[in-house]
Amino acid sequence: MSETKNNIYKPIKAKVDKVIQESPAIKSFVLIPEHEFSFKTGEFIELTLNGYGEAPFTPSSSPLEKKKIEVTVMKAGYVTDKIHALRPGNIVGIRGPFGRGYPLEKFYGKEVVILGGGCGFAPIRSLLYNLMAEKDNFKKVTLCYGAKTPEDCIYKPFVDELRKVDKFEIYRSVDKADETWEEKEGVVTVLLDDIKVDIPNSVAVVCGPPVMMKFGTFKLLEMGYPEEDIYLSMEKNMSCGLGKCGHCMLGKYFVCKDGPVFTYAEIKNEPGIWL
Amino acid sequence: MNPSFQIHKNDWFAFLHKSSEEYNVYLPVRFNNHIEYEILQDEPENIALNIARPVTPLKTFLLPVKENVVINTSIHNKNIIIGVPSCDLHALDLLDKIYLDQKFIDDSYRINRENTILIGTDCLEIHENCHCISYNINPFPEINHDLSLVAVNGEIIISVNSGKGKKLFDELKSSFPVKEAEKMQIDKIQEKRKEIIIQLKKNNKSLPDYQKTGDLIQKSEDEIWERYARTCVSCGACTTICPTCTCFLLIDRPDFEKVRQVDACQFPGFEKIAAGEDPLKRKYVRFRNRYLCKYVWRPGQFSSIACTGCGRCIDSCIGNISKNEIFIEMAGDDG
Repeated sequence: MSETKNNIYKPIKAKVDKVIQESPAIKSFVLIPEHEFSFKTGEFIELTLNGYGEAPFTPSSSPLEKKKIEVTVMKAGYVTDKIHALRPGNIVGIRGPFGRGYPLEKFYGKEVVILGGGCGFAPIRSLLYNLMAEKDNFKKVTLCYGAKTPEDCIYKPFVDELRKVDKFEIYRSVDKADETWEEKEGVVTVLLDDIKVDIPNSVAVVCGPPVMMKFGTFKLLEMGYPEEDIYLSMEKNMSCGLGKCGHCMLGKYFVCKDGPVFTYAEIKNEPGIWL
Repeated sequence: MNPSFQIHKNDWFAFLHKSSEEYNVYLPVRFNNHIEYEILQDEPENIALNIARPVTPLKTFLLPVKENVVINTSIHNKNIIIGVPSCDLHALDLLDKIYLDQKFIDDSYRINRENTILIGTDCLEIHENCHCISYNINPFPEINHDLSLVAVNGEIIISVNSGKGKKLFDELKSSFPVKEAEKMQIDKIQEKRKEIIIQLKKNNKSLPDYQKTGDLIQKSEDEIWERYARTCVSCGACTTICPTCTCFLLIDRPDFEKVRQVDACQFPGFEKIAAGEDPLKRKYVRFRNRYLCKYVWRPGQFSSIACTGCGRCIDSCIGNISKNEIFIEMAGDDG
């Protein structure tokens, strides 16, 4: 984690190495930080555009990779518009890593069910890299991923690779299919009807847009998951990343410091949980 | 009280003038109906010692409204601040926990804190909306001060409360006649303290205590917040003037510099996320947010209170909203 000797507000520089168009609205950016940068899966960084603005992203790359870091960004607002205009060779700033990521050790020996939607695949991909690298520690990994349309599905090459890994089962759905789509049609929660899972020996991970997180969580509860076995990666307006500026409060929690990963049990009564 | 010492008022001011070569010496000065910190100049006029709290909260000395926190261009003056009220000293508990968190120390705050000598004072006068006593805070320096000072009968009574305070006190002692405080003076202070406490209790007899207020807020219906927020214009006066509200915005500047600027949950868009969702979109939700934060969330996160009963937010509200009225109404319903 951060060394207190350094200025907590000062970013380190990173060079844009590669830009990948994932879908019409989503791009991934491979960044090479000026020095080695480690993070744990689920922790996030602040990406600074020099003189322009800063926004939080959970890296989508493998936490085992120290030389490069990848973020996946949906064009959604002021800063992300500008991020989408980045080209290889551009210099950005990064601060972090911040917060509390996925507690992998608590998943050991269990089945991991992952429910992801849209750009929420980003933190999940980083988690999947970790799960793959340590797959002996888990019984099974089931990914249920949903997007609006087939062209909105991101990480296509990664998904193809993942399908070849034993112990990993991949299910996908789109809200609106076309003639090319051979998988499920419907909101992502319908995929949970198809999976086989030993719930008492399983944990569930949810990451996606607020409305999907809400209905995903309710569905998991309905299936019998205990509140403390549902892990949510919360989206808030994390700004300083240090538990000071107050923009990301979720009840008494600072999402930047106490999260972004919470169990449903921890935050179920907080106002604004689903925004 | 810690062991107290006594110095004649004229000697004390002579010492302050001498100290102002090295420090910016701030004193509370009375202007019409309010009291404000002013820098010590030639002849002190209208200096108001042992008065109720100044308009400006102490936090503004430690967290400037706007500051470059990457290159740290701020001039970190050495300050002596005289007349800090107990409510503001108590507020430092929370500020220190946020800004001096071992994992993420805010250097600018740390330097300002280290460079500032805090001289607390008794509030031997109180304002209409002062209610520290309801939150178990006494109207005289208890914690977080370096020295404390009370003026009685032309004499200044001083006690030492920290290493930093002792250093300054030793300088004082080496150049001016200082003696042990006379019992008569101490008795006088103790007597005044009792009177003030009785008055504060009387003024706030219907106000629920801190814990109870938090419980009431959590149980409250939307209706009461909608009603009280009607005249709120989201100006942020209440947060600006609050000794414990320190939320901020980080503004990006060229060369990867960042400016920390005062911000507040009362301003629309404070929690808005990129995709457009905004949990604090409605005015009454923002309005309620501040009280949930003060009475439930900050205490839950930091084990420190986040309202020290200074009453500034009530004084400053242009919509004439009194938080105490809200809580008294809630407590009434509850009973």
